[in-house]
Amino acid sequence: MLGRGVKRKWSCLEELEAEARPAAAEKERDEKEGQGDEDGFLVGPSKSAMNHLQQRQLVLGLCMEKLQSYQAGMELSLRRSVLLINTLRQIQEDMQSDETGTSETLLNHTDSCLLREDMQVTCPGCTEEDGDSLSPPLSPEFPSQEANSSPDQQKSLPAAAINTFSEAVNAMGYLSDLALDDIFEDIDTSMYETSELPSAWSAGSLWPISVSLWTDEDVKMRPPSLPSAGSLQSRLMDLNELDHIMEILVQS
Amino acid sequence: MEEESDTRKINNSFLREHNYATEADIISTVEFNSSGELLATGDKGGRVVVFQREQESKSQPQRRGEYNVYSTFQSHEPEFDYLKSLEIEEKINKIKWLPQQNAAYFLLSTNDKTVKLWKISERDKRPEGYNLKDDDGRIRDPSTITSLRVPVLQPMDLMVEATARRVFSNAHMYHINSISVNSDYQTYISTDDLRVNLWNLEITDRSFNIVDIKPANMEELTEVITSAEFHPQQCHTFAYSSSKGSIRLCDMREAALCDKHCKYFEEPEDPSTRSFFSEIISSISDVKFSHNGRYLMTRDYLTVKVWDLQMENKPLETYQ
Repeated sequence: MLGRGVKRKWSCLEELEAEARPAAAEKERDEKEGQGDEDGFLVGPSKSAMNHLQQRQLVLGLCMEKLQSYQAGMELSLRRSVLLINTLRQIQEDMQSDETGTSETLLNHTDSCLLREDMQVTCPGCTEEDGDSLSPPLSPEFPSQEANSSPDQQKSLPAAAINTFSEAVNAMGYLSDLALDDIFEDIDTSMYETSELPSAWSAGSLWPISVSLWTDEDVKMRPPSLPSAGSLQSRLMDLNELDHIMEILVQS
Repeated sequence: MEEESDTRKINNSFLREHNYATEADIISTVEFNSSGELLATGDKGGRVVVFQREQESKSQPQRRGEYNVYSTFQSHEPEFDYLKSLEIEEKINKIKWLPQQNAAYFLLSTNDKTVKLWKISERDKRPEGYNLKDDDGRIRDPSTITSLRVPVLQPMDLMVEATARRVFSNAHMYHINSISVNSDYQTYISTDDLRVNLWNLEITDRSFNIVDIKPANMEELTEVITSAEFHPQQCHTFAYSSSKGSIRLCDMREAALCDKHCKYFEEPEDPSTRSFFSEIISSISDVKFSHNGRYLMTRDYLTVKVWDLQMENKPLETYQ
């Protein structure tokens, strides 16, 4: 990953596409060896689909990586964030249209795997994220600023409810209109113990903005995995929102 | 003058040959003035270097077209935003020259948050012969003065000074990506990701917000402003480009807040070329009006497009 201010050649884009092809070819080879002859028939017709899937996964990984670079200390400009998130949304749509017909749980699992993989790769600072397997990887989480322990960034950690979530969105990089310090200044955190929240909540970032986007009324946009997210969310929304935030803060 | 050019030569070649150029030297913006005589460059270290075209001379006709360093000054310093615990980069994002109205040159330079008006002036004469001051600047004891003299302007080595005349700050929550001087020579606009502000060049403590695309719910944000420019002749018209590949033309006479555009330029996407990168490469990085004000030129990741202001549904020309 190049640092800021370092020029990338415009052919970088072509390189990415070129990378996707050999990566797809590699994956095909591995699968062939692993699965044996009976799956040979999969290779032929699905070759182009494989490339598409591989490219999609590659782009997905890249977008996640870039979004999460925020927690590595690199400030992500609003323009970049918006472009990355729009691309992620496009990928999500693509995933959905691909997977219509397959069971919801399968997609959920696939999504979880993909995204959890990314989480492991890119969030070295994440703690126990292998908990609840159904815990939505698309939970509203935030890049945790491990390096920075300022209250401002601590607030960017998982927020359950939508409005607290949007505050967290602001803190992340979509800019804050208000100083979040003010909200939490006088709250005594000593009474809040670590609760048995799903570990995924406290794990590193994933789809920080995405989930909030998908809590819109537009049902079509929702990934199938959201029902489980929804139930969790509704449970959490029952709690006092502020209490919940504090639990998370203390937990980290 | 001789000394200066030697220093220049030393600096230029020394830096190049010994790789002393650091990240701060990376040039972030370039702008000619209207006559082309001056070229201003801004770098990541917050410095502005102005080059001047070599004067035509019969003895060395081939040297015309070469530019020499004219002035160097530190425009912006790094700042720290205590509220957000973020450093504000000193990198110069944009420089725009003001039309020349007297012997001095004026330019606007901006980093992410603050716009500054700089005056670049030449000094090639110096007053000598003050009564109350020595030529060194020491105050003379009045009792020692026996006769009065009139100070005389003596020629001196050319000195180019840059002074900050205005500082326009605290008007942008997001990163400023462009500035544009109006044809009325009195106002200019500064643009960040979500807003466009109108300033008067004389007034630094107030600006008008004329475009605001920030949604009530930030989660609904899907498009940001990438660049804005005033029409070269019509002082009430400006255009701004977005990250989704569209350009909006606005008329300030319509309303105080120009959220409603007059014209909307966008080429519909060709579904056959759609890829995962479509979104990213369609983002327009810069928009410029033609000199006659009838055309617009935009640049996205892979193409440059020329638009006719009368035709909104597709560009006139596309260059790849």
